[in-house]
Amino acid sequence: MLQRLKLLERLQNLARRPIFWIVTGLFTILLAAGVGSGIRSMQAPPPQPLDFNHQVHVGLGIQCLYCHPGAWRQAAAGLPTTAKCWGCHQQMANTKPAQQVLVAYAMAGESIPWVPVFIQPDFVYFNHRPHIAAGLNCENCHGEISRQTVAQPIPRQNMGWCLDCHRGRAAGDEQMLARLTDCATCHR
Amino acid sequence: MSNPLEEVGHKWGMVIDQDLCTGCQACVTACAMENNIAFVGEQDAAYGRSLQWIRVERFWEGEFPEVKSTPFQPVLCQQCGQAPCEPVCPVYASVHSENQQINIQVYNRCVGTRYCANNCPYQARVFNWRDYREPGPLDNALNPDVTVRRRGIMEKCTFCVQRIVQGEDTARAEGRQMADGEVVPACAQACPTEAIVFGRLDDPDSLVSRLKRDGRAVQLLEELGTQPSVTYLKGGSSYGRNG
Repeated sequence: MLQRLKLLERLQNLARRPIFWIVTGLFTILLAAGVGSGIRSMQAPPPQPLDFNHQVHVGLGIQCLYCHPGAWRQAAAGLPTTAKCWGCHQQMANTKPAQQVLVAYAMAGESIPWVPVFIQPDFVYFNHRPHIAAGLNCENCHGEISRQTVAQPIPRQNMGWCLDCHRGRAAGDEQMLARLTDCATCHR
Repeated sequence: MSNPLEEVGHKWGMVIDQDLCTGCQACVTACAMENNIAFVGEQDAAYGRSLQWIRVERFWEGEFPEVKSTPFQPVLCQQCGQAPCEPVCPVYASVHSENQQINIQVYNRCVGTRYCANNCPYQARVFNWRDYREPGPLDNALNPDVTVRRRGIMEKCTFCVQRIVQGEDTARAEGRQMADGEVVPACAQACPTEAIVFGRLDDPDSLVSRLKRDGRAVQLLEELGTQPSVTYLKGGSSYGRNG
């Protein structure tokens, strides 16, 4: 009891000193800044080797599947190779900064190190093919990429988000529900 | 009234002909390669911490020196219909797949209580006591379709569910039914004597169903009522070893 009183007294003494409040305040600010920047970095698009403008390309009538053909028939949609970009761009005056980065990669014969934006954890085995086969469009999951320059990630694309859609699709069909909510469908 | 669970998906099963098995361990090796199973090293193996989803059991009959070895018995997860491992898991990491009719281990749910392994009458489950993965060129040999398990995770045979899912997806993409023998797990694929046969038990004409109706068919610890999906064929063959 005596010990506890002593401890309380020491705490009160500490609270009277301004250094205590300065340290506490600084710590709180640092914590808030850390949390804030963490959340921000999760939702911000990752830095890309060049600022690819989706809006312009979709506006020119290029289909998503032209540059991401894997979505049609395999698990990964794929990111375009330098050769695919260069197929059109070698016939153009590449004046914009992003285009000049492309020219540099094409002249060096190197592949563009694109950074995937829509990534899933390692234990998720996502497959594009059945989703396209089920009649989904790209923008159902990826949002309005056609209005974006650099592709933006969609926050909280998690298992609940997947299952919401899967359950809705399988409504009333026991067999389909079993298939679409089976663990092994996405986790192996 | 039929059980609605029996009507969905496929019921996968395996038949292992012990009269054909030569105990060559090819299934063990193929399984390790397919499923990213780590080598634990001599010391941990001596502690009984070997990671093997399939093992080849060898028994002896009689007293030494008049021993007679029985046919080799590859033992893997029996993918029970009434699995003892499932109800004991506190976090639902050991669950029954209604679609594939197998037991699956959900690695990202598992917290490593090891209740399931203690309740498994076949000792088919193994536990990752350490992070065995080491940086090096061998990591390039990992199968990208299978999760690399980390420390503290229980794991077991999945009937190569990645191949099943892939086979089903391919068949659906091509708009056809799956053919018998289209999906082959790594152990059956590697077996040089074709002692391991895999296929659909819900299809009465599949090879695995026909073999299961063989008079030699037995199941491990049948009296426990676990309803295994793996059937063993033993005895009555001309392949007699040691008489």
